Amino acid sequence: MMRFLRHLQHWLTGHGPRLCVADFVPKNHPLRQWADTFPWPALVAAVDRNFAQRFPIRTARGRAPVATRVLLALELLKHELSCSDEQICSRLRTDLAVMYACGILDIQVDGSQEHFVLPEVLAQFRSRLDETLMEELLALQAAAAMEAGLVSPAHLVVDTFPSEQGSQRVNDAMTLYKAQKKSSRSSHISSRRARRKAKR
Amino acid sequence: MFVKLVRETEKQLLDIGQHVGPLTVAAQLVLQAAPPLPTRQHTRLTTQLGAAREAHDLIAQQSRRLTNGKALPHCKIVNPYDRTIAPICKGKSNCPTQFGRKPGLIAEPASGFIFAAHLPVGNPSDHRYVLPLVDKVQQAITHVAHRPVPAIHSLAGDLALNDTALREALHARGILTVGIPHTVEPLTPTPTQEDVHRMLTEAGLRRQRTPYQVHLACACGYSRPVVESIITSLLCRGAERIRYQGHRGAILQLGMTVMAHNAATVVRIEQHRLSKRAQKLRRLLGLRRRNVNQFNASKN
Repeated sequence: MMRFLRHLQHWLTGHGPRLCVADFVPKNHPLRQWADTFPWPALVAAVDRNFAQRFPIRTARGRAPVATRVLLALELLKHELSCSDEQICSRLRTDLAVMYACGILDIQVDGSQEHFVLPEVLAQFRSRLDETLMEELLALQAAAAMEAGLVSPAHLVVDTFPSEQGSQRVNDAMTLYKAQKKSSRSSHISSRRARRKAKR
Repeated sequence: MFVKLVRETEKQLLDIGQHVGPLTVAAQLVLQAAPPLPTRQHTRLTTQLGAAREAHDLIAQQSRRLTNGKALPHCKIVNPYDRTIAPICKGKSNCPTQFGRKPGLIAEPASGFIFAAHLPVGNPSDHRYVLPLVDKVQQAITHVAHRPVPAIHSLAGDLALNDTALREALHARGILTVGIPHTVEPLTPTPTQEDVHRMLTEAGLRRQRTPYQVHLACACGYSRPVVESIITSLLCRGAERIRYQGHRGAILQLGMTVMAHNAATVVRIEQHRLSKRAQKLRRLLGLRRRNVNQFNASKN
């Protein structure tokens, strides 16, 4: 029940006055400046177009999804701030600069946390991104910078660098998952054996 | 990796291995001359002899490739004669990684803005990265609406990009390759008029590219510190280690890292936080950003 409520949390609207996020993030804040450089409308439109083609929504029913702008910004912030999914989602609840970077304009003062995003939702969003879309997003960002006259592709440099393949980290969640999987498998085998014995 | 230690043990291995070659040949001759053995036994002995010979060849081969590199940041046991070490370390004397992927990037040397990144399956030669990267940049250029539409004038790289077919392909697209060296000797940043004339004639781009563009290409050239700074910025943002699963995950992580880096680069450009060299190159490229708040009237 609690888990279900947690999933619904971002969708629930709160009461009380609303707080303008931009008023609380200084204009020279590094994250604000960083976030303002992205051509968000073009990026969000590209993601939505790609998802609509690959994952068409067959029904209008169901709760409203978390905005693409928020999820895309969270994914980018995750790399900029070197955070995990859980860390960045938790910062979204309390850090106004992160909220600003995610395009959240105002929030409820009474702490309704309607902007709440679960790490699972972020992982699900990431699983939908593919190579073509990533190339398109990067091309759009480069085009926006060229359009603004900030960079020029006239003279370029090419190089490669090695990147280590990361090993899977051992954490509590993974250990629990593996233990559950192992126990379910062993119980499945034992039940099958019992059935065979009963047949004999 | 403790290269000194490896060198010490390797000497002994190579000394012993010297005799392995002739001995295996002699053993094979004996095996052929011997009374007929059961097929299974014959196969086993032949395989063992082949493995013994190959082991020595492998040590000798890996010994030639082994160079002093950076210390690993974490404790890791590595076999210096492992075959899998060779591919990723190809052309990377400072490579701290034994296993992983090798992304390629195409960037503006002045500011460090990355226009495209490419992560191929496997580990192809460096020059195979170039055309896919150039294609991606040209794809990005198609999104630019203003006129004149920007174009790639020149491309620079290290000696690994020195490939005749690649040069021809780039010349066919109207791209100068003066920044790609032919030898280990450094490139001249200020070429003479004769050199510029020769470069344009060799590339067959006398009608497409101007001498000024050649001068700029030579000035931009290939600078290892510039490339290292771009790579370091990516490594700081987590590109050092691929954490997402599979090839798609690696592409996704690299793409997001590059986008985050580009945003930080744009902030630096807007705040004029660039090196002297970058400022000069941007001025030559006509990218100097005017300060609209500055009052240009006489200060007296």
